[in-house]
Amino acid sequence: MSTCKALIKRNTKLFFRDKGMFFTSLITPAILLVLYATFLGKVYHDSFAYSLPETLHVSENLIDGCVGSQLISSILAVSCVTVAFCSNMLMVQDRANGSIKDLRIAPVKAYALALSYYTASLISTLIICLTAGGICLAYVAAVGWFMSAADVLLLLLDIILLTLFGTALSSIIHFFLSSQGQISAVGTIVSAGYGFICGAYMPISQFSESVQRVICFLPGTYGTSLIRNHAMRGAFAEMIDQGIPEEVVESIKDSIDCNLYFFDHKVDLPIMYLILGGTITVLITVYILMNKYRKTSSHA
Amino acid sequence: MENIIEIEHLNKSFGEVKAVQNLSFHVKEGELFAFLGVNGAGKSTTIHIMCGQLAKDSGSVTIDGCDLDHNVDHIKGELGVVFQNSLLDNALSVYDNLESRAALYGIFGSTFKERLAELAKLLDFEDLLKRPVGKLSGGQRRRIDIARALLHSPKILILDEPTTGLDPQTRKILWNVISDLRENKNLTVFLTTHYMEEAAEADYVVILDSGKISAKGTPLELKNAYTGDFITLYNVSEEDVKSLAIDYTPIRDAFRLFVPNTAKATELILAHPEVFRDFEITKGKMDDVFLAATGKNLTGGMEK
Repeated sequence: MSTCKALIKRNTKLFFRDKGMFFTSLITPAILLVLYATFLGKVYHDSFAYSLPETLHVSENLIDGCVGSQLISSILAVSCVTVAFCSNMLMVQDRANGSIKDLRIAPVKAYALALSYYTASLISTLIICLTAGGICLAYVAAVGWFMSAADVLLLLLDIILLTLFGTALSSIIHFFLSSQGQISAVGTIVSAGYGFICGAYMPISQFSESVQRVICFLPGTYGTSLIRNHAMRGAFAEMIDQGIPEEVVESIKDSIDCNLYFFDHKVDLPIMYLILGGTITVLITVYILMNKYRKTSSHA
Repeated sequence: MENIIEIEHLNKSFGEVKAVQNLSFHVKEGELFAFLGVNGAGKSTTIHIMCGQLAKDSGSVTIDGCDLDHNVDHIKGELGVVFQNSLLDNALSVYDNLESRAALYGIFGSTFKERLAELAKLLDFEDLLKRPVGKLSGGQRRRIDIARALLHSPKILILDEPTTGLDPQTRKILWNVISDLRENKNLTVFLTTHYMEEAAEADYVVILDSGKISAKGTPLELKNAYTGDFITLYNVSEEDVKSLAIDYTPIRDAFRLFVPNTAKATELILAHPEVFRDFEITKGKMDDVFLAATGKNLTGGMEK
């Protein structure tokens, strides 16, 4: 375990010494927040206001808070995974520059090496995502705050879980890569595509039924829903307090994926946690086993 | 002396290319073993297999009494490797690099600090500990590479072209350290090099060509088998040299005569004492051995 700790220290130091790697990872959530707030904030606001029956009066502050919470939930759901893909580069870099040979020349267990890459990447991703989480919460506080302390804590738990998931997924995919170009290609694909398939860029309810059914099998979807539920719970509670019928609130929740359905069965929050936790466990186990049973290279 | 490395009938191919073909050799404990060959001869492939970095196709590798197939971790613990190119982390300091590498062998805390102090003194890098490895000169970096290879006090030190590109002074420092370790710690050194003067100092030499052994033996055995002797003759006229009726080359202020062996040289000198008044006899060089054994010149790794 001490060997693993020393390797985690090495990997984390290398990540933070490489300013390019650190800033590239950090810039992703920052760009998303600026883009969302600049281009989508008003669209979301208007769309939300028009969707309410004219007979109901909802304060501007509540609409802003609700839209702001939806925005940050999307940003955080995407960032936890895309940042993991950006920051989890060291394993491939070590392979590309040959440093891995210097590590594997020693009698170090494959699982220790694998875990050290995973944990170091998790630490750096968490630092970036929790910082992004702090900035997002400050944004919500500025536009309209309705979250309780419990909501904030659960939101942080969701960020941690999604980061664990994103880091495990990127570790498995990066296991097969061996050059900087390949990492960039994968990073681009993930950045472009993940937001759609996890329901962050567009609510899943707006996709066709067949696509919705496929997406329900992707565990990232439940991570997005968890973050969204905890970011928006206070705003929904306030809507009910302001006299909006619960049926209307439920239909809003349906439309923005706070309520998720697996073949018409509503998935409760504890089940979402179970799905995400189970997926993380399976991915980490698969990653360690892949490293353990990695064949000795057949090329010099 | 016992064999510390035993390689029998080793084979390794990459597709159609047979990198190593039926390779068998032994290395005795404490000796300086030189492995020569042009680039692509199979040296690095053999080293990678010995270190458990590359799977062999067939044959057996036994190091320190352990079979590579069954006890690779023990073998890795007894090997220290200095690669052709430094594989340390450029962005980290010398201290951080060595600390992380020592941890791979279970060396931590005060044990690491004691070992680091020993090596820093031995290799004279006490003032470099806080410098990033990427900012070091070639010679400084090589010293750190050797320290990294010696961190866990291995029984065998593998040096893969360790002095290529180094200035003569740094090469001398490195060889002094290695000689000292061989003398005091009975360290076995497995060397690949393009410098024939380094190979000439070895206890045993194997010359590899296209994945096969083309010659092996002590430097003396190889010189006797593959080259003759040279007599450098001073203060004589060219007519006198011609009268000897053997091959010769005029050099700046003397003539260089080629004779098949020392016995023939002695015979020639005794037969012509009037000509051999001022002379010296030298054995052929390892370059000549390499050329005779492989038909190739070994100059900085380039086949000529």
